[in-house]
Amino acid sequence: MPEYLETTVDKFLFKVAKDRCYSSAGVWALDLGNVVRVGLSDFLQQRSGDVAFVEVKPVGTLLAVEDWVATIETIKVNIELLSPVAGKIARVNPLMETTPEQINLDPYGEGWLCEIEASDWEADRVDLLDAPTYFTRMKSEAEEEAKKS
Amino acid sequence: MRAPKQIAIVPCSGIGKTYGSVSREAAYITTDEIRPGDTRLVALSRLVLGDEDARGVIADCPAVTIDGCKLACATKMVQESGGTVLQDFAVLDVYRRYRQFKPQGIAELNEGGQQLARALAEEIAQAVDQAMQVDREGQNG
Repeated sequence: MPEYLETTVDKFLFKVAKDRCYSSAGVWALDLGNVVRVGLSDFLQQRSGDVAFVEVKPVGTLLAVEDWVATIETIKVNIELLSPVAGKIARVNPLMETTPEQINLDPYGEGWLCEIEASDWEADRVDLLDAPTYFTRMKSEAEEEAKKS
Repeated sequence: MRAPKQIAIVPCSGIGKTYGSVSREAAYITTDEIRPGDTRLVALSRLVLGDEDARGVIADCPAVTIDGCKLACATKMVQESGGTVLQDFAVLDVYRRYRQFKPQGIAELNEGGQQLARALAEEIAQAVDQAMQVDREGQNG
């Protein structure tokens, strides 16, 4: 179980897992040694709404950083997610086919999207945000959205 | 077990939400078109306000609830009003079964939303039929 940074904005609690890196769009990347696991941050999944369908690019797909890796259809929006890491998709979470709501229920755990054999993880991670930096940005964004509503 | 006289249909009241609109449209189709005698529409807002008539219906009739989101307000409100939830439907779950019917629009649902509402209403009708123990094929034959 990862440790979290947490904040409450309006009535919503947002968590940021400390053990991974984030793109500014809220896609996380977790180094598992031989692969990098990718998923949505808690803020991104809450803002997007309940997930109806997920389509992840198939195993074997070659990706550059910010290539389209998955599409998520929620009750509010369709989102194209961009990969935070370059490499080849090694595994797609089978739960995305059967129970995509795992993204909402467990965004940092069972709700991961895919695992990527990174071509140069050390280079890619430099451009990603660490958890405290993403947390600060996310909190600011959440507060801005709360002001609008 | 005796069949109930009627089934209360309680849809989501999410005004301004597509899935809320689908839930209400499905409720209207059920109560006005396909099972008018067996069902009775109860507005969630009236339950929230503690309206005596609405609470009376819920006390007398088991309810089918239709929730537009995971907050499940319709289901929770029926339970909090002391009613019995016969079956709860979540629009999102129904949409996952009918992906070809993508709902859009709020005040006016698109064609996909209308079709999804009708598919949902048909599922509700089955639940109603089971509860009412009505053999409609037998009746029609």
